Amino acid sequence: MHLFILQRLNGKELNKVFKQVLGWLIAAIFFFPIYFWITVSIKKDKDIFALPPKLFDFEVSFSAYEEVFGISRFLYVEDMGAVRPGGGDFYMMPNLVDSIIIALGSTGLAMLISILAAYSLSRIPIRGQQHFMGWILSTRMMPPVAVAIPMFFIYKNIGLMDTHLGIIIIHALMNLPLAVLLMKSFFDDIPKDIDEAALLDGATRFFVFWRLIVPLAIGGIAATAVLCFIFSWTEFIFVLMLTQTGLKTIPVVSTSFVTSTGTAWDNMAALGTAAIIPAFIFILLVQRHLVRGLTLGSVKQ
Amino acid sequence: MSSQKSYSLPSFMNSDSSLPWLLPLVTMLIVFAIIPFFYNIYLSFHEFVPAKRALLFVGWDNWIRLFTDGVFWGSLKVSLYYTFMCLLIQLVLGMGIALLIDSDDPGFGIIRSILTLTLVIPPAIAGMIFLIMEDANYGLIPWLLKSIGLIGPEDTILSDPTLALWGVMIVDIWQWTPFMVLILVAGLRSLPSEPFESAVIDGARPFQVFRRLTLPMLHKVIAVAVLIRGIDLWRMVDYVFVLTSGGPGTATYTLSLYSWQRFTFVQWGYGATISLFSLIVILIVGNAFIHFAKVKW
Repeated sequence: MHLFILQRLNGKELNKVFKQVLGWLIAAIFFFPIYFWITVSIKKDKDIFALPPKLFDFEVSFSAYEEVFGISRFLYVEDMGAVRPGGGDFYMMPNLVDSIIIALGSTGLAMLISILAAYSLSRIPIRGQQHFMGWILSTRMMPPVAVAIPMFFIYKNIGLMDTHLGIIIIHALMNLPLAVLLMKSFFDDIPKDIDEAALLDGATRFFVFWRLIVPLAIGGIAATAVLCFIFSWTEFIFVLMLTQTGLKTIPVVSTSFVTSTGTAWDNMAALGTAAIIPAFIFILLVQRHLVRGLTLGSVKQ
Repeated sequence: MSSQKSYSLPSFMNSDSSLPWLLPLVTMLIVFAIIPFFYNIYLSFHEFVPAKRALLFVGWDNWIRLFTDGVFWGSLKVSLYYTFMCLLIQLVLGMGIALLIDSDDPGFGIIRSILTLTLVIPPAIAGMIFLIMEDANYGLIPWLLKSIGLIGPEDTILSDPTLALWGVMIVDIWQWTPFMVLILVAGLRSLPSEPFESAVIDGARPFQVFRRLTLPMLHKVIAVAVLIRGIDLWRMVDYVFVLTSGGPGTATYTLSLYSWQRFTFVQWGYGATISLFSLIVILIVGNAFIHFAKVKW
């Protein structure tokens, strides 16, 4: 509130400059850890561990990226058998591919189910709709651990442990409350008159849904899909508990870089940077709908 | 409409019943929410007995153990402290920043965009970022705190029983304060301007305007932000897992982490009991909050 007071004391111009400076300072503080992380990925070990920290004047090296993406595999094939101190193999392409398969698969599944349900909830009210919505919201509250422990036994019994399909299903389930509530809010924005006019003309429900309403909601569908993708991409505890050996997504595998003989910070940072840059691009593309998405469709921008 | 013929396949969907539309969702939610819930209840009355290599019925043992387990009470305290402190700090900080950057002046759009970036970082990787920044030997943050004399030259953050939790909380505050900012900015932008104009004409002081007009009119937006953030704070496990694994000792065990840790020690029944407790608490508190704050979806 001191800003308002400043405005009264010092007049509008100074206040404007002050707000700009303070605003950029805050943005810089929040951006700094990201910048720092990116620099770790292109630093050499001696610069990573330097104090005072080297923020700008460090030697640039892309060897961490070469290892993580396996570029060195193509360049010096015979090297790859050797075990590096501080860890073994840092070739992470399989894990990136796993992460992408899981995120895409779970997003597709969650969207398919949620678009159908959200259209129905928006257009054909059911008895106890409010309770039903409350139930969907309640599933959003469940701690992942409380779901993952029973799921561990269920997955063991039906053979979904360590499979792409198993993680795709659990991530889709995790994203359903968000996707349904968010998609309902987007469908609610489209006038119901469109449906009713088309239905009067003899169109079927599914035709109205698929040919009229879905195209109109395509922006909302894209935004919802991006959020589902990101939440699957960043999810940690389900993958940790429902996979044992082979299948590990990026967030989980990156924690394994901390080993007893030391931490491969540059490799970890390279992988982390590679994981967050696509997410940055995606989120900026749907920024218009971001707040609505974060509040499950409750606050509109 | 002749083109309707090509839609003969989902004919069951052409009725005005919502059942076929909702069926996939309900099936999935039963699998996700109902079955695990009851399975957890089942597990909470069983325990894996290593001698017999089997999951055996143990009656109320897990529940009795829960309420007499000092580590459980400690982790409950940590979860509550973590949730409330982070919520409070993020709300206050978020409101301050939101009031600052709720502006159409050039530049503030970019500032808002920069603030969205932290939200899409995998929490485990956010933990990694702060793990290196808080490292005892070559971390940036301890070095900074030492050079301005806030902590002694031999002090650490993540292995200090009192500071470790704050070392974890700082990550949460960094990553999720922008969440509050963006939601509150959207709320501020949707406010009508007339009441504020007449308040200024009436000569109201800025703080009065904020308390009497801004806050009440933002009530719904704040309630939604607090609800969603509160749920996620209560469920948080990634940061402690990466940064401290619950240590030093048991100083930073949250309920979720303790539950996971018991699970990995093959105390499946007890782990399930802790997670069930955590689930019941959030269901009751969350739904009570929705009811009393009149949050509507």
